[in-house]
Amino acid sequence: MRKILVPIKRVIDYAQKIRVDSSKGGVQLKNVKMSMNPFCEIAVEEAIQLKEKNKGAEVVAISVGPKQCTETIRTALAMGADRGIHIETKPDVRGDYIDLQPWAIANLLKGIVEKEDGVDLVLLGKQSIDSDCGQTGPLLAGLLNAPQATFAANIERDDDGSFTVERETDTGTETIKLNASGKPAIITCDLRLNTPRYPTMPNIMKAKKKPVETISLEDMVKDLGLDLDEVLTPKNEVVEVYEPPPRKEGETVGSVDELLSKLREKGLVA
Amino acid sequence: MFPLTSRLRFGLRYCTYTLSKRRSSQHHGICWYTTNYSRKLRGPTAQDVSYFRSILARPDKSVLDGTATHDVMDELQKYNIDWTKHYQGSSDLVLRPQTTSEVSSILKYCHENYIGITPQGGNTSLCGAATPISNEIILSMEYMKRIYKLDEYSGILTCDAGCILQSLHDYAKEAGYLFPLDIGSKGTCHIGGNVSTNAGGHHFFRFGGLHGTVVGMEVVLADGRVLRMNIDADDDNDDDCTHRFQYSSASLRKDNTGYDLKQLFIGGEGTLGIITKVAVACPSLPMSKNVALLVCKSYTDVLQVLKATKEELGETLSAIELIDWNTMKFVQEYGSGIGESLISELLSPGATNQPLFILVESQGCDPESDSKKMDAFLTGLYELSAIENGFLAQDSTQIEQIWGIRENCNPSVARAGFVHKFDVSIGIESYMEVAEEVRVALNTANLSNLTVCVWGHVADGNAHINIVSKQFDKDVATAERIENIVYSSVMKRRGSISAEHGIGQSKRKYMHQIKDGAVLELMSQMKNLFDPHSILNPGKYLPEN
Repeated sequence: MRKILVPIKRVIDYAQKIRVDSSKGGVQLKNVKMSMNPFCEIAVEEAIQLKEKNKGAEVVAISVGPKQCTETIRTALAMGADRGIHIETKPDVRGDYIDLQPWAIANLLKGIVEKEDGVDLVLLGKQSIDSDCGQTGPLLAGLLNAPQATFAANIERDDDGSFTVERETDTGTETIKLNASGKPAIITCDLRLNTPRYPTMPNIMKAKKKPVETISLEDMVKDLGLDLDEVLTPKNEVVEVYEPPPRKEGETVGSVDELLSKLREKGLVA
Repeated sequence: MFPLTSRLRFGLRYCTYTLSKRRSSQHHGICWYTTNYSRKLRGPTAQDVSYFRSILARPDKSVLDGTATHDVMDELQKYNIDWTKHYQGSSDLVLRPQTTSEVSSILKYCHENYIGITPQGGNTSLCGAATPISNEIILSMEYMKRIYKLDEYSGILTCDAGCILQSLHDYAKEAGYLFPLDIGSKGTCHIGGNVSTNAGGHHFFRFGGLHGTVVGMEVVLADGRVLRMNIDADDDNDDDCTHRFQYSSASLRKDNTGYDLKQLFIGGEGTLGIITKVAVACPSLPMSKNVALLVCKSYTDVLQVLKATKEELGETLSAIELIDWNTMKFVQEYGSGIGESLISELLSPGATNQPLFILVESQGCDPESDSKKMDAFLTGLYELSAIENGFLAQDSTQIEQIWGIRENCNPSVARAGFVHKFDVSIGIESYMEVAEEVRVALNTANLSNLTVCVWGHVADGNAHINIVSKQFDKDVATAERIENIVYSSVMKRRGSISAEHGIGQSKRKYMHQIKDGAVLELMSQMKNLFDPHSILNPGKYLPEN
């Protein structure tokens, strides 16, 4: 194996309380704790595990976002990735579906895959927890005309370079084989795939020395021969973002009779 | 105090009991007396039960009556036995009032009729404070669990004493605040019990204790009088407000108008009054949280870590917890499974034999700069070799796992065998010395098959020393020898034999040794003043004469 690319996304930490900032038409991002998208963490962990099984493979973490994304890339490096590519956006460009959307990301990634050359596998999280689209992986596969498997719960690499993937579906597990095709396999990762490791001190120290290439979005777009407006103009417009209505408090009843009479009152029972 | 005519727990002598219709099976036959020995206390009778039924709004819910029937024995058991399973009472009656005025009526009656009462919250006491010793009435606060309000500017949260601590955390978090008390039993314990025992917890270092954060309280005294101290809450239809002066202060952050009586109830373990409501000042919910688990080869390195936290993490430091090797092994074997892959890594044979593990948590309002501080802190220590390794949580799941390991210490050790539990306070420099001295002393005394485990709030100098024996020690003498070994090691270092767990049943007998004579005298005078008939939590806290 030569190269595994892992695109990762910096999102609001899943445990944070989300507040809607109606003036900005989106959720409040100021001073909120951010982390690597949990599914991207799983993708990084899988990449490292594959690298450990296939000596000589290189794991490259890629992120598109503001300057703080370098931290997210460092976390991937501290887990064991070899180098990072940070496509830096201006601070006001939002990654949570308002500005940057999967189509743009997929196009950027396609460009990087072609530029890097020798990429055997692109591992992505199945979706991000802010936009919940789940589109970037499949779009990338479509753009590259590459084989894909989504919602991976188990990945095995065979000696001939093909991948056998067990994927989660609503009705059970499906096993798919991605044949070696000269194109990178595109696999998106689901929860059961692995448990991401902790960054440990020795690796955190090593990560500080690993190279991270930072390039502005504008320059990258130019480099790849894409159109900046095309990339930055979202294909979908977010019309409104609002908080779900507060849950109504339930009522406690004292007896089965009381329950029945309340149900009748509400017309739920004859 | 109470001239206990029998030894507790292992070997009870009987004395005649007045008036009650007892079932002979369980009763321990212990007598309680009032302070001046003029009257004996008694347990409840059927007549008492009818009276209680008549004054409570929902007697079917609020009265658990085992005086006349055996049917409710199973349900009564859960109130009668404590969490550690070391203490078993034989109460036949549990009262579960819903309002302060019900509590007041109950106490007034019991005061007039010399009936003993054990207040109970979540029943998570680790020193037998919350379970009856004999057949005292159990007064459970479980149905008083309303949260009244959280002031958005002051952060003062006002609620009933029976609120489960976790529910207060959840409520405060919704409003952007953090409840300042956090302990492992938060899914079960009640805030009333926490306040009565002055619980310490993980964030004591950062937010201070309940003596500082509790700003208001409502208490019912033994004779039924309701004391309202800087609190603003009404559990409807509370007409027992003849004492409520219309200008008394309500849930203010500062109020220096008189003796601060509420401080007596904080840590009073239910012996001076029953707390019915509290007002607690909550800090704002920090925006950032960073947690790391560090591996140190010796306690000297731990001291370096402590120093570094002050220099590098400064005001963002919110918790430092120590877990020793033996404890971690028990967590691996008997824990709930949380963080198991991390634990395997921690316990894998490494450079040092049996390192110490330190959990460090920082919380602040700027996630970016707080992460940088944590990074600088860890890097510095690693470069100095003060830590052999460190695991930095990169997201909330990993944070929960690391804390899960820490919170699993107590339950895991409890499952490992019979535990001789100690909770001591010592100078930070000597923190591990007591455990080491105890190990040697136990070996010398030929007390084998015992594993000494240490974990705790190291920055507070508070060590939870748990000595685990594979078999149940029916031998009182052994338990006493172990106790003597541990406590003499602590006392000679002028430490405290109960840093945060309290006195309850387990440590009363040491009060004469550890407290100044004048202090004890005043404490007993105070008991007499607040509870002249000695009905509240008899047999606990204050020593026998």
